[in-house]
Formats: sequence, structure tokens, C-alpha cells
Amino acid sequence: MLLSDTVFGMLKFDLWPLPPPEEYGNILIDRTSSKHNVKPVTFSHWMHRTKYTCRVCHFELAFAFNTNATEITEEDNKNGLFCGACHNGNIVFGHTRENCEKCHNGDISYGREKFTELKEKLPKAPYGNEIDWSEALQKGTIKPKYSIYKDEKPLDFNKLLELRAEWSGISPAVFPHAAHVPWLDCANCHPDIFNIKKKTTKHFEMKYILDKKFCGACHLSTAFPIDDCRRCHPKMR
Amino acid sequence: MKARHILYLAVSLLICFLFSLVYADTFGTKKKRPKPDEFGNIVLNNFSEKKSIAPVVFKHWLHRSKYTCRVCHVDIGFAMKAGETGITENDNKNGLYCGSCHNGKEAFGAEEKQFSGDTRKNCDRCHSSGKKVEFKYDFYTFRKGLPLERFGNGIDWIKAEDQKLLTLKDQIEGISIKRKKLTNPKEEMLSAKVPGMPNIIFSHNKHAVWNGCELCHPEVFGVKKGDTVYSMQDLFNGKYCGACHGSVAFPNDDCQRCHTEAVS
Repeated sequence: MLLSDTVFGMLKFDLWPLPPPEEYGNILIDRTSSKHNVKPVTFSHWMHRTKYTCRVCHFELAFAFNTNATEITEEDNKNGLFCGACHNGNIVFGHTRENCEKCHNGDISYGREKFTELKEKLPKAPYGNEIDWSEALQKGTIKPKYSIYKDEKPLDFNKLLELRAEWSGISPAVFPHAAHVPWLDCANCHPDIFNIKKKTTKHFEMKYILDKKFCGACHLSTAFPIDDCRRCHPKMR
Repeated sequence: MKARHILYLAVSLLICFLFSLVYADTFGTKKKRPKPDEFGNIVLNNFSEKKSIAPVVFKHWLHRSKYTCRVCHVDIGFAMKAGETGITENDNKNGLYCGSCHNGKEAFGAEEKQFSGDTRKNCDRCHSSGKKVEFKYDFYTFRKGLPLERFGNGIDWIKAEDQKLLTLKDQIEGISIKRKKLTNPKEEMLSAKVPGMPNIIFSHNKHAVWNGCELCHPEVFGVKKGDTVYSMQDLFNGKYCGACHGSVAFPNDDCQRCHTEAVS
């Protein structure tokens, strides 16, 4: 079975099913909620990324890239960690009784009306939220905060990498640091996901990307999905 | 007999399969980051479990709130890697390592006489790994009122000291020599190797307060500029700056804290 998986895995790609645009990037966090008879938390990436860059939560606040992998507890939130770093009643609504349902609602498409409203104002894209977030940021239509601790600016690092494909006949992928740097920090990707020395990252293949590794850490469920082949492999016919 | 062979084969195949799963998860994904209260905590287990005692959990945050790094890592002689010192109970009783302070004078010892005349055993306060221990100091209570910072313990240790919220001891009677504070050591500009990457400003000043010269020179870094050649990958592997930055001092994740000088 393992062998057949490996062989067929190389011949076909099972793309992840795409939810409707208003649900793309929404996750239900249910590490301990249901066990405590509380509804799971709906976390909406589209809502948060209009105000904060990926880096604020995944770099400064140490949220993992996999749902439920971060051991968030009520106590942590009250100690100002994780959600509690902002959801404290000062920056944004706090972790209090009257606010429970705003997060603990178990509704994966929570806030769909707001999404429709937002989508109209932002540049379009073919997949995911059907919003071109990069363009929205570049044009200043959205102004997400880069840091909640410091007066920092994105690193002026715009090296464009051309990554040769593993298979002959597939055009190379391009990786623009410039498009990633305004959202992310170096340490979001380096050195855990990608090594810092070019061509030293091992097993960097499409089948692993589809297993949420490498680019797949973001580009399956949150950043534009890899259904959009030509956005990375621009010369693909 | 035959059935048993098949069973062995099946079990070993299963083990191989499980190993491959574990291995498969180690690349291309982000590692978990410790929580602020866990950052810099190390487990010392050279002899503990062999003697059926819980291993020691050493908390850097608690100790660095009272003493400079130098006191333990230079004067007392603790290694920079957990377990490398090989501390024994006898050492502690002879006043070495932990026993330099944990002797009932500078800090609590193994046993304490109470006012009531009873003896209180303090074993659990250090040998706490895997145990539920009611500690004297709670991390988040301690952190309240201190200037916050991202990463590591989430505390701006330098600012906390500047604001006199913490006063660190740099000498222990009978162990340290009396020394004057280093004044105005030089700031060093180190050039980054990758084009477009901002250069590094290394502040001798910030480091000397806690470490003196001797914690880094000449073993971790040579004394002549340019003689020690290292790469960022070396730091990620726990060498050079990575000896402290990553496990105890703020982690290497915080790129822009060192790479500050934009190259035009």
C-alpha cells in the first residue's frame, strides 16, 4: 500500500477541496473547548489580516501554523499570551462573559456578511477568498499592522529566486521575497521550513507541499491556494 | 514457530513505518516555540533518574532575575549545555555548582530548620520534573510590572534593569573576585554575508553587563576581529551567538534585533 501511494502520489496531485470564499482560511479551534462543553472558536484569517500582518500572530505571538497545535488555554489568554495579547479589552474586545459568542460560536462562516462587504472593496483574485491580498496591501487598500511591539519596517530584501522544477517539462517556480516580506518575518520560514542556504532544502517537492510542508504551510488553506498554478509557475502552459 | 516469525516481521515493519512517519514530520514544517514561562528552562538528569529521583528543572528566568550570567557560567563554572557539567550531590555538598549558593545562606539549602524546630526538606523545589510542585515564584506574577518584549520570556531584561526593577548580583563572597565594571566597551559593526541583508551591530556594552569578557572570549569567540569565521547556520546549530541566543537569551528568530544597519 505504501509503495503504491508513493508511485501514484508522484503521478497525480490531489488538491485540497476549496471552501466557499467567505470560509477560506477560517478555522475551528477545538483543542479543549468541546471537552469543556464550550463551542469551538472560529478564527477567521481574512478578518484578522485586514488589521494585522501574518507576522504579528505567527511570529510575535508564536501561533503555530497548524490548527490546534498551539496549546492555547483560558489562563494563557488571561496572562496576555496568544489571543489574549490583543483580546484584552484594551486593543480589542476582551475574554469576558458577554463576548464568549464572538469567538466561541462554532460557526465556520461566522461574519459572512462582513466578508461580502469587504470583498467588494478589494482587488479580485481567482481562488481562495477571491481577494488579491498582496495587491490590496501594496495599494494601501488595507493597512495591517506590521508589529504590535515595535516601530519596525519590513526588511528591504527583494531577492527573486527561480526554483527549478523536479520534473522535466515543468517550468520553474519563482519565489519573490518582495511579496512575502511585507507580511511575514524571515523567521516565519527560516530556518525551520526552508533552510537559509539556497538549494540546501531537502525534499522540497510538490507532493510534500500538498502535505502542508514548505509552501503548503500557508498556500493550501490561508494564502492563495496552489490551484493557482501559474501564480508560482508563471511559464506553465 | 512460523507464526512467531511472521509476528516479529510484522512488528518490525510497523516500527519502521512509525519511524518513517516521525521522520517525515521533521522537515518542511515549523517547530513549536516554547511558552514564555518555559523558555530557558532546562532539565538536568545526569544521575537523578538513575537514583529514582525526579530530574532537576532549572529556570533561567528566576536565576537571571537575581544574578548575572557570569556568576554561574564563569565564577561557578557551569557549562553552556544542559547536562554537560555533570553535577553530583557530593559536588553540591562540597559547595560546588548549585551548592555554591544553595547552602542555606545565599539561597535555600537541601534542608531548612523551621521556627517550629522541624526540618523542612527542599528536594522538590529543584527536583521537580514531572511533579506538581507549589513554587514560591510564579512566572506570570513575576512578569507583571516588568517591561514586555516579544520572544523568549517575553521580558525586556535590559530595560527592566535600566529601570531598576531588577538588581543583579555579579559577585558571590568566596567565589568571585572583586572586579570593576567595564566602562564603554566598543560597539562592533559586523557585515552580513548575503547581499541586501542589513549588517549587524554587536553591542559589547549590553553583553558585558551580564557576561564580562570571559564568558565569550576566547572560547566561543577569538579576541582578534575577523579570526572567528561563522555563518548564520552555525548560530542556528547552537554555536557562537547561538550558544545563548535561541535557548536562553532572545532567540535567533528576532532577525532585526541584530541585523539593524541597512546597507545602501
